[in-house]
Amino acid sequence: MKDFFAHWMTQNFLVVAGIALIAWILWSGAHHERWQRAWVRLRADRGGMIALWVVGIYLFIGALELIHLPNGKGGHHSILDVAFANRVALEKTYSAPLSDTLLSSASGEKLTGTHLLGTDTLGKDVLVETLKGCSTALVLGGLTSVIYIPLGTLMGILAGYFRRWVDDLVQYIYTTIASVPSILLLISLMMVLGKGLFQMSVAIAFTSWVGLCRLIRGETMRQSERSYVAAAKALGQTSAAIMSRHLLPNLMHLVLINFVLGFSGVILAEATLSYLGVGSPVGTASWGNMIDGGRSELSRDPLIWWNLTSATVALFGLVLSLNILGDSLRRAFDPKRG
Amino acid sequence: MIRQIARLSAIAAALWLAACDNNPHPAALRETDDDGTKWSVRYQNLPEDPKSFDPQYSYDQMSRRVIEPVYDTLLEYHPLKTDPYEVVPCMLAEMPKHEVTADGLHSYVCRLKPGILYHDDPCFPGGKGREVIAADVHYILQRMCDPRVESPFLAPFAESVVGMAETNEAAKKAGDKLDYDTMNVAGFEAIDRYAFRLRLKKPFPQLLYWMAFQCMSPVAREAVEYYDGKEHDGKLRPDFRKFYAVGTGPYRIAEYLPRQRVRLERVKNYKTTVFPSDSHPPEKAEFLAKLAGKQLPFIDEVQMTILRENIPIFILTRQGYLDGMAVNKDSFAAILGAEKTLSPKYKERGMFLEVDREPSTFWIAMNLDDPIIGKNKKLRQALSASYDPATYSEIFMSGVAPVATQLLPPGIYGYQKDRKNPYGYNLERAKQLLAEAGYPNGRDANGKQLELTLEAISSGSEDRQRSEYDQRHFERLGIKVKVSENTFARLMDRQDNGEFQISSGSGWGADYPDPENFYMLFYSKNVPLAGKNYCRYRNPEFDKLFEQMSVMENSPERLAIINKMSDIIAEDVPVILTFNKQFYTAVQPWAERTHNNLMMEGGIKYLVIDPEKREKIRREWNRAPLWPLGILAALIAFAIFHAVRWNRRQNA
Repeated sequence: MKDFFAHWMTQNFLVVAGIALIAWILWSGAHHERWQRAWVRLRADRGGMIALWVVGIYLFIGALELIHLPNGKGGHHSILDVAFANRVALEKTYSAPLSDTLLSSASGEKLTGTHLLGTDTLGKDVLVETLKGCSTALVLGGLTSVIYIPLGTLMGILAGYFRRWVDDLVQYIYTTIASVPSILLLISLMMVLGKGLFQMSVAIAFTSWVGLCRLIRGETMRQSERSYVAAAKALGQTSAAIMSRHLLPNLMHLVLINFVLGFSGVILAEATLSYLGVGSPVGTASWGNMIDGGRSELSRDPLIWWNLTSATVALFGLVLSLNILGDSLRRAFDPKRG
Repeated sequence: MIRQIARLSAIAAALWLAACDNNPHPAALRETDDDGTKWSVRYQNLPEDPKSFDPQYSYDQMSRRVIEPVYDTLLEYHPLKTDPYEVVPCMLAEMPKHEVTADGLHSYVCRLKPGILYHDDPCFPGGKGREVIAADVHYILQRMCDPRVESPFLAPFAESVVGMAETNEAAKKAGDKLDYDTMNVAGFEAIDRYAFRLRLKKPFPQLLYWMAFQCMSPVAREAVEYYDGKEHDGKLRPDFRKFYAVGTGPYRIAEYLPRQRVRLERVKNYKTTVFPSDSHPPEKAEFLAKLAGKQLPFIDEVQMTILRENIPIFILTRQGYLDGMAVNKDSFAAILGAEKTLSPKYKERGMFLEVDREPSTFWIAMNLDDPIIGKNKKLRQALSASYDPATYSEIFMSGVAPVATQLLPPGIYGYQKDRKNPYGYNLERAKQLLAEAGYPNGRDANGKQLELTLEAISSGSEDRQRSEYDQRHFERLGIKVKVSENTFARLMDRQDNGEFQISSGSGWGADYPDPENFYMLFYSKNVPLAGKNYCRYRNPEFDKLFEQMSVMENSPERLAIINKMSDIIAEDVPVILTFNKQFYTAVQPWAERTHNNLMMEGGIKYLVIDPEKREKIRREWNRAPLWPLGILAALIAFAIFHAVRWNRRQNA
C-alpha cells in the first residue's frame, strides 16, 4: 500500500485528479447564475484578474514539477526536470548570481554553468530550487484544503442547521482548539506525527478548519431563515437533501473565497514551521527551508542574499496574489458588502 | 525657559551617550591585585552549559573545560609536545615507577608532591584547605566504585586495577549502608604520607593517560561529605556531584550562572606547577623564553560566557570582547583571505591565526546488525566509495579539515601518513562495487530500488544542509536515501540501542593519545551498553589483536599489530571515514597563544594576556559612528519645524 502511494504514476494520477476536481467545481458553478454574475464582475476588476493570472502561472509551474515521466533508466523525473532543471549544472557550493567563479575567496574555482540567481551551499541552482518550491507549496496547500474544507463545511452546516446540542458540541470543539495558540499546537502536532508533507498537512488542517466552520455556521443560520428552506421543509424533503441540494450551493462562494485566502495561510504556516525546523523533510525544495538557511547566510561575510531573496519574493508573490484574488472574489460575489 | 530646557536636555543626552558602552561583560571581580598590579581578565566563550563539576562523574567536554583549571591532575600533558603527545608529572613529584614482581604482577609506584593544598573552603576546619595526601587517591578510587557516584570511568579501572571490581560489587550490595571507612580497594597501598602503590591485574599502560584525566584528580572527603545538596541549620548546601568544586588547581570557581557564564578566580597560594622550559617551538622561542620557569597561572580571572550561536561569537570577537574564537563557516570568508591567511583587515589589527588540530576522527556509522547493510560488505564499501569528504570539508569546514584516511587521527601512535583509504572517494568504483553487492544501478534482482535510512541530527539549518549533502552523495549511486531527523540525545539513544541503519554525525575524539582508545569502539565485548561499539562490529580476529595490543607498551611489535587492525577496519568498512577535525582559531593581539595542545581542554593556566593593550585596542575598535544620530536629529528638527508651521497656518 505504501509502495502504491509512493509510486510516481499514482502521484501523477492524483495531481491530474486534483486539477480535474477544481475544473469540475468551476464548471458546475458556471451554470449557477450567481457565479456567472460574479465572473462578469471579476473580469472588470483589473487587480483581481492580474492576481488570477499570477496564481495560474504558479499553478502551472507547480504542476510541471508534480507530473513525472519515466527517464528510461527505470527511474522517473518531473517535466520541469526534463525541460529545464536537468540542463542546469550542479556546482560545489555558493556562487553569486551570474558570477562565473565559486564564492570562495581562496580558490576562485570556475563554475560549470551560469546561474541566473546563483547557487546555494550545496551548489544547487537557486532559480530551480525556487521553482521547485512552488510544487511543495501547492501540494501542501492542496492537501490541507482537501482535509480542512470538507471538515469545516460539514461541521459548520450541521451546527448551523440543527442548532441545539449539535451546535453546542461543534462550538465546544472549535473554541477549545482556537483557545490554544495555533503555532504551539502546530509544533506539538508535528512532533507527534513526525516529519513529512502529509503529516504537515494534517497538522495545519487541524488548526485551520475552525475559521471556515464559524463562517459556514453563521451563514447557514442566516440561510435557514429564508423562505426557500422553509418551502423545502414543507415539501417534506429530508434534512440531508436540504443541506446538500439547497444550503450547500448557496454557501459554495464562501468556501471558494475561504479556500483562496486559506491557501496563503497554509503556505505561510509551512514557511514558519520549516523555519522553526519542524517543517518539510530534508531534501524537499521548500521556500521555508530556503528562508531558514538564509538566516545564517545573512551574517556571513560576504553576505549571501540571493537564496533568501528568491524564496521570499516567490512566497510573497503567491501569498499577495492569493489575497488580492480572495478579496476580488468576495467583492464579485457580494457587491453590496464589498 | 524653553531654551533652558533644551540646553539641559542636550547636556543630558550628551552625558548619556558618553556613558554608553557596548561592553557585554560584567565588571571584573576586582580592579587591582593585593600588590597593586592591574587585575587581568580573560574573556572566552563556552558553547554549552557544563553538566557537573564532579571530577569522578563529569565526562563531557563542557564540564571538562570548566574543571580543568580547577582540579590539577596527577600527571598532565606537556603543553608544547603534540607529536606525539607526552604526559609529565603535575601533582606527582615524578613519573610513576613501573614495577613487575617475580610472579609477573604489574604495579605503579607514585609519589605526590608535598605541600599541595586544597582550596580554602568552609568544609575544612577553620576554613583553611588541608594538604593533599596519598589517602585522597584511595578515596577517589572508592568513589569510582560507589554506584551512587555513577562514575563513567569505572569500567577500565575495574578491568585492570586489583580489587576495584570486587569493591564495586560489595558497594552495590551495601546500597545506602555503604561505609567509606570500612570500604577498601585492595589494589591500593599507601607507602607513606605521600607515596602509594597501585597494583594491577594485567598490564595497563593507558593508566598513565588516565592519570592525566580529571577522573583521577584527588578530591577531599570533607568536601564531598559537606556538600551533600541537603539543608543544614536552615541553609541549603550545594551538591558536590552537581555544581560545587573544592579543587587543587590554579583556579577556583567564583560564579556559575546557568546559561550565562562561569567565572574563575586565581587561587593565591597555588604553587604546584610552573611554565615548562623545554620543547619551545622555534617560531615562538623568544616569546616563551620570558615565561619559562615562571609560576602558573598568569591570568587573575577567567570569564567564560555561554554563547550557543555562532553570530554573537564573531561579533564580540570583532569588537574585542572575546580573546579569541574558532573560525567557523560563517565567519571564515571574513577572517581569512586568499591562500588561507588572515585577511588584510584583521592582519592590520595584529590578530594571530592558529591552526588547531584535534586528535579526532569523524565518520558515518553503519549498523552491522542491520539485515541489509550489515551482511553486505560490498554494499558498505560502495557507500564509502560514493562519499566525497573533501567537498564536504570544503563546504562545511571551509576546506580546513583533512580527509580521514584511517581510523586513527594524526598525533596518535600508529597513525600512518602515507596510508590510503582503500574505499576512498571514487564514484565509478562505487557503482561497480554496488553492482557486485547485488544492486546494479541501485536496484535489486527484482528491479526494486534499494532504500536506506540515514539517521541525522537536526538542530538547525546547517545540520539539515549537512544531511542533504550526505543524502545526495549516496543517491548518486541510484539508491534512495531517506533522512530521519533526531535530536542529539535521541541519536545517541538510537546508536546505543542499535535502532539505526546509517548514522551521520558520529566520530571519536581521543580521551588519551593511544590507539586502544579508538579500536575499543570496534571490540565485540564493547557492544552497548557495555561500551561504545555502536556499529556492533564483531570480528574474532580483530578481537584477538585488540586484546594483545591493548596491554602492550609502544614497540615495533605493537605497531605491526596496530597496522594489521587498521587494515581489517579499512576492509570491513563498519564506518565511512570522513575527516579529522582541524580548524583555525583567530587570536587577539593581546592574547598571543602559548601552546596548541588540544589534548587539554584549553590549558588556561598557561595562557597570558596584556590587559592594557586590550583596553587601548578595544576603544579603537568600538568608536561609534555619530552620523546616524546627526541624521536622526535633522529629521526630528525638520518634522518639528514643519509641524509648527502647519499648526500656525491652521490657526491663523
